[in-house]
Amino acid sequence: MIINGRGISPGTAKGKIALCDDYISPLGEMGKDGKIKSGKCENLEFKGKIFAFKGGRGSTVGSYVLLELKENLTSPIAIINEKAELVILTGAIISEIPMIDGIPLNILRNDDEAKIDGKSGILELLGVVQKEVSTVYLFHGDKLLVLLRSNHVSSFQNQYSAISGHIEEGETPEEAGRREVLEETGISDVEIEKIGKPFPVRWENIVFVVHPMLARTKSDKIILNWENREYRWINVDELSRLNTVPRLKEALEELLKS
Amino acid sequence: MYLTQEEERIYNGEKGEAQAIAIRLLVSIGEINGAEQLIPIKSAHISGVSYKNIGDGGLKFLKKIADKVKVPTTLNPLGFDLERNGPVEVDRDFREKQLEIIRTFISMGIKESFTCTPYYFYQQPKYGDHVAWAESSALIYANAILGARTNREGGPSALAAAIIGKTPNFGLHLDNNRIADYEVAVDGRLDYSGAAALGLYLGANYPGKIPRLVGVDYLRDFELKAFGAAIAASSSTSMFHVENRTPDDILNRGRKFEKVVVDYNELKNLMEEKSSHEKPELIAIGCPHLSKDEIDYIASLVRGKKKDKEVEVFLFASRETIKNSSESIKIIEDFGAKVFADTCMVVAPLSKKYHKTAINSGKASFYLPMKEYGGQEIIFRNFNDLLRWAVIDN
Repeated sequence: MIINGRGISPGTAKGKIALCDDYISPLGEMGKDGKIKSGKCENLEFKGKIFAFKGGRGSTVGSYVLLELKENLTSPIAIINEKAELVILTGAIISEIPMIDGIPLNILRNDDEAKIDGKSGILELLGVVQKEVSTVYLFHGDKLLVLLRSNHVSSFQNQYSAISGHIEEGETPEEAGRREVLEETGISDVEIEKIGKPFPVRWENIVFVVHPMLARTKSDKIILNWENREYRWINVDELSRLNTVPRLKEALEELLKS
Repeated sequence: MYLTQEEERIYNGEKGEAQAIAIRLLVSIGEINGAEQLIPIKSAHISGVSYKNIGDGGLKFLKKIADKVKVPTTLNPLGFDLERNGPVEVDRDFREKQLEIIRTFISMGIKESFTCTPYYFYQQPKYGDHVAWAESSALIYANAILGARTNREGGPSALAAAIIGKTPNFGLHLDNNRIADYEVAVDGRLDYSGAAALGLYLGANYPGKIPRLVGVDYLRDFELKAFGAAIAASSSTSMFHVENRTPDDILNRGRKFEKVVVDYNELKNLMEEKSSHEKPELIAIGCPHLSKDEIDYIASLVRGKKKDKEVEVFLFASRETIKNSSESIKIIEDFGAKVFADTCMVVAPLSKKYHKTAINSGKASFYLPMKEYGGQEIIFRNFNDLLRWAVIDN
C-alpha cells in the first residue's frame, strides 16, 4: 500500500518500522545504543529501523543528538512523524536521515516492512493492502443504528459497528453506502445527508480507508443478513459504553460537528 | 515550495554537501510553515556558539556544514572572555573545544563579535531589510526598533540562511504577521527594569502575541532593548510596536485593538516576588550587552567612588562597544568593577562561584533561577538601587 506523506529530508530507505505513539526528545530519550531510554516507549530499539513517532520535543540540542547517533551507527535509517517540528526536522536533515511527515501512526504496526522516499514523501507499506469501505451512520429520529458484527465476517468480529462494507469497483462511496444499508438492514428509504473526510483504520495486514456518512430513514424495521447478529437503536451517548470497531465514535463526532 | 533552477541544483548536492544540507533545512522549514519561496537576506546572526550549549554533536554539525557565508554574519556570546579569561575559570578541555568551535566559525567568514547586541558597531539592518537572526533579544530588537524583518531563527537555521544567503518567506517576513494583536498602556512611568518587568508580565499573560505599547515613547532604545529581551525570553513573542517609534507601526494604522492597562505597582510586585532580600555576592549588568550610552551613564554614577570589597560588580558588553567606550571603561575599572567581552551572565557558568546575584535584567531574572543555569538566588531591581549595595559611602 502507498501512502502520500510530505517529504522533509531527502533520501530513501527500506526496513522494518519501530513504532512509538508518543513525542520524543532526542536529548535524553534517544540512547547511544539505539534504544529509547525512558517514557512510554522505553527499550524500543530504533537503531537500523524506520522510526515512526508523533513528533519531536525538548531541547533544540536534540538535533545534534541525531547526528551523533548517525556517526555512531546507532541511528534510525529513516524517520516518520505525524507532524514535523524543528528539533527532529533539523536533526534529520543535518544527519542525512530520510524523513517524511503527515502519516497517521494508527495505520502502522511494529515490524511492518516499509519503503520511504524522503523527497516525494511517499511511504510504501510492503505486504499491507488498502481497501475502501463506506460506513453509514443511520439515524431514525435521534436514534442511531448499531450492529453487532457476526463471527462470519473477515474483520472486527463481535464488535459493534455502523453499517459498513467494501466499495466495489465502479461504485461511488455513496452508492456503496446505499447498497450496504439495503443488504445489512433491508431498508431502502435512505437519505444520505453528509459525507465526511475518509480516514484509515488498520486491521491485520489491511488498511481500511473508511468513507463515513450520515444518513436518515423513516423506517425502524431491520432485517439482518449474515454479517451481523444483533442490532440496536441507541442514543449517541451510549456509543462509548459499547465495544465498537476503532474510531466509530470519533468519526461520528467529526461528522456531526462539521 | 517553489525553487529556482539554481536552488534546485544546490538542493541536489551540485554545490557540495554543506550547501545541500543548508538549503534542505531552509526548504523543509519553509514547507512546514507554508512558505512559497526563499528570499534574499542582508545579514545573519548565529546563536549556539557556546560549547556548553551545543556539545560535541554541535561541533560535528558545524564541521559538516562549514562553508563560506554569503552575507555579513555575527556570533552570539560564549562561556568566557577569550582575552581576559573570566568571569569564571573554565577547564582546559572545555576551552580547547570552545576554541575549535570558534575556529570553525571563523573559517566560514563569520565575524568574531560574540555579542547578543550585534546592532551596536557590528551590523545595523535598515528598515525593511530581510535578515535571519537567532538570539531572541537581538531579533526582536531588529523587528521592533530597527524595522528589519526576521523570524525567530534557531542556531542551525540562521547558519543555513547565512550559507545560502536566503531564508524561507513566511511569518514575520510578511506584513500581515507583523500587525499588533493588542494594545498596552502603563499606569505609571517605566525605567529600565520596569520596562523589563513589563516584558516578563506580557510574555507570561499574552504569550506569542504582538503588543503595541502606547504612551511610552519616552523610553530610550536601551530600555526598549530590556523590554524586548524580557518578553522574548518569557514567550515566543518576537515582535512588538511602540507608538511613534516602531517603523512598522504604520501597519497598525486604522485598526482597533483590545486594550490592556498595566498597573506599575503590579510590575514592582513582580520584581519583588522574584527577589531575595539578602546582600548579593555579585551585581551583574549587561543582559543584553550594554551600549556605549549605558556604559557612559554607569561611568557617570561611579566616577571617583570606591567599590565595597564584599560585592563584585561585573559588566558585560561586546568587544567593539568596550573599545569605543575606553574613557568610561577606565572610570568603571578604577571604581573596582570588572568589564567582560565575549560572554554574558546567562552563558558564563557564574553559579560555579556566585549564588546570590543582583541584576536589573528581566531576561536574566527569567534564566538565572533555573536549575540548568545554576539555580541562583536573584535580586531584581533597578540599577541605581543595586549600586547602593556596591558603593562605599564617604
